[in-house]
Amino acid sequence: MTDDSDRLSRRRFVEATGAATLIGLAGCSGDGGGDGGDGGDGGSENTDGSDGSDGGDSSGDPLEVLHGWTGGDGAAAAEALVEAFEEEYPDMEHEFNPIGGGGNQNLDAVVANRLQNNNPPSSFANWPGKNLQRYEGVLGEADSVWEEEGFEDVMVQEAVDLHQYNGAFRAVPLGSHRLNCLFYNTSVVEEAGVDPDSLTSVSALIDALETVATETDAVPMTHGMSGTWTTTQLWASTMLGKEGYDPYMNFIEGSPDEAAVQSAFESVAEILENYINDDASSIGLTESNQNIIEGNAAFIHQGNWAAGAFRNAEDFEYDEDWGFKTYPGSEGMYMLHFDSFLYPSNNPTPEKTDTFMAFAGSEAAQVAFNQYKGSIPTRTDVDMSAFGPYLQETQEDFANAEERPPNLQHGLGVDSETMSTLNDVISSEFSGPYNVEAATSGFIDAVSN
Amino acid sequence: MASHNDDTEESGDAVTDGGVVEEQQQTGFGPITKLNERFGSDFVESSQFWLPPFLLVGLFVYGAIIWNVMISLTDFQGFGTPDYSDLDLEMYARALSDSGFVDAAVNTFVLLIGFTLVTLAIGLGLAILIDRNIRFENTFRTIYLLPMSLSFVVTAQFWAWMYNFNNGVINIVLTSVGLDRVDWIGSPNIVLWAVVFALMWQFAGYAMVVYLAGLRAIPDEHYEAAKVDGASTLRMYWRVIIPQLKGSTISASVVLMVFALKAFDFLYSLVGGYRPPNGADILATKMVREAYANLNWAYSSAIAIMLFLMALSIVGPYLYYQYKEGHL
Repeated sequence: MTDDSDRLSRRRFVEATGAATLIGLAGCSGDGGGDGGDGGDGGSENTDGSDGSDGGDSSGDPLEVLHGWTGGDGAAAAEALVEAFEEEYPDMEHEFNPIGGGGNQNLDAVVANRLQNNNPPSSFANWPGKNLQRYEGVLGEADSVWEEEGFEDVMVQEAVDLHQYNGAFRAVPLGSHRLNCLFYNTSVVEEAGVDPDSLTSVSALIDALETVATETDAVPMTHGMSGTWTTTQLWASTMLGKEGYDPYMNFIEGSPDEAAVQSAFESVAEILENYINDDASSIGLTESNQNIIEGNAAFIHQGNWAAGAFRNAEDFEYDEDWGFKTYPGSEGMYMLHFDSFLYPSNNPTPEKTDTFMAFAGSEAAQVAFNQYKGSIPTRTDVDMSAFGPYLQETQEDFANAEERPPNLQHGLGVDSETMSTLNDVISSEFSGPYNVEAATSGFIDAVSN
Repeated sequence: MASHNDDTEESGDAVTDGGVVEEQQQTGFGPITKLNERFGSDFVESSQFWLPPFLLVGLFVYGAIIWNVMISLTDFQGFGTPDYSDLDLEMYARALSDSGFVDAAVNTFVLLIGFTLVTLAIGLGLAILIDRNIRFENTFRTIYLLPMSLSFVVTAQFWAWMYNFNNGVINIVLTSVGLDRVDWIGSPNIVLWAVVFALMWQFAGYAMVVYLAGLRAIPDEHYEAAKVDGASTLRMYWRVIIPQLKGSTISASVVLMVFALKAFDFLYSLVGGYRPPNGADILATKMVREAYANLNWAYSSAIAIMLFLMALSIVGPYLYYQYKEGHL
């Protein structure tokens, strides 16, 4: 009897354990990523606890800044920024933590988790503008920094506007990239007999691409679309260049003109269908850029971070080997991008963060960082002599631009959810085959509220 | 916990009466005895061994799942705390009307079925070949099993290089025999099958090992009897041997399906981001994207729960089958 019931019960336990293990296994797999929600919640539970400790520690904690500049020129720029900071504030303990990978995805995920867990860093790099909406409720005020440093007087007006959200400054700009850029390999366009400076409309660009295709063996326009963002930003520049400032602004402000959106898509489809590299869908920006450097392609549309790679390439000089043209049709405009430092509320080191924010907006920081990053200062009073000729020209364009429309793909123009929807549309309708109608209605639905 | 308290009280009584063991054997009315009668004679005594892990697993696995269900019923997004006062199925309705979700679900399903069937077939083929008393049997077994020991991150990088349009070894072979290059990762119609093939390469060795064990368990007499009856080798396997591999097939396919649901790591490493190549988005990648890129915690939890139910619908019948067969 005893033996029997013993065996019975042991079997029951084994059953239970086995079932638990297997369901657990399935649970892990099915649930792995779902922990996002869980983790998030766990965090909010801890809110109160960390609140308490935060206040106490604030004086002793080192300044902690998260950013995503890990590769190539980004890493060099971040290093220069840290050096400049150490020079200015030799006694301040600091941790600059680079979190690279997946564009800014990994950085964003780490920041989101830490903010959700109420364990914010002192500051983190991100985009201002509409992008600030996703940090609703977790951003503090940087008003005092802006006031004390007089940033409102020295930054361009767009920077002043785009760094405010819900009536307060939430961030400080560090530098600005330009989005409506067309870069070219000088020898390839010469071989094709194309004069890039004469391309002042999208149709002229398409004619030039046709000329390159017939006259040379090179790819007319290199495009890396393993991610969707390159196509989204190409569309944005085409929209701006072909349709003009007002239709572009109407689009990002939520009252799009369907004919304009469709016409921009038609031009992009014409380019992508006929004039890009065969392997476009499996390469990214780096490889695509390499096509310009190696002379395999004539043109590339990118933000001017692409120029950072040109500068790092050997024997590849501005004006001699590569050139820049404002994206056709968008002359006189500077499609804005900002790299900024955001100010989390419940800040672990409020005073040090203020100091750092003041530094980030200073001439010393902006010069140190931007000359390596391939971007330009957002201040208008900076001595540009440390920068190369290309960036000096960009800075002049920036200062003299008639319009500085916010970008679509890099946070300024639309909130992150809309941006994500736009990229879903590109992914499903416009990554080849190119469905102009479906993409148009998808874009219109995404921005119209 | 309640039973533990009862235990203390009961043994207190027992001490007064003297003779713990006898007391328990004689009386049949206390809660302990009832528990023991219901669940076996040492249910309470053994609880100190199984109860702590039972509670921990209950809290951290099942508690977390239940919590996830709760979050999926809220409208939680962005930062802050979820509001549990207004629970509804809105997020599930949203998923069903979201074409991205439907595509991802279809892809998940195709990946699940395609990958499992192909891997089982290849694994069975390899197992039968290895079971033919070949030379260097152990070496071959190790070679086939090796890919499974590699991390998804490593194998995804391998395959990203092999599938590369310009320099990938596959396209180089294709062009050298006069065929056109194929855009393995970039074409929405091909990429899912490219992923299935890569996963198959990684896990065929596992299916082989499971099948090999199954084959070794079949007595030699069955082979001999089939031969004596004049069956060809093909017929012998088809009619006699493979039907006896049902158990191996079921257990291997459960594990493979669970791996297929976990293909997130592979897709993430393939492109180094949350958005897989067009045509290869699966529920796991969509879930992570919704959570971390869009901060749609509730929506992403709803996707997680549906993925969990898919996993459960695979494991559940297996458990039931095992239970019926008396293997549990």
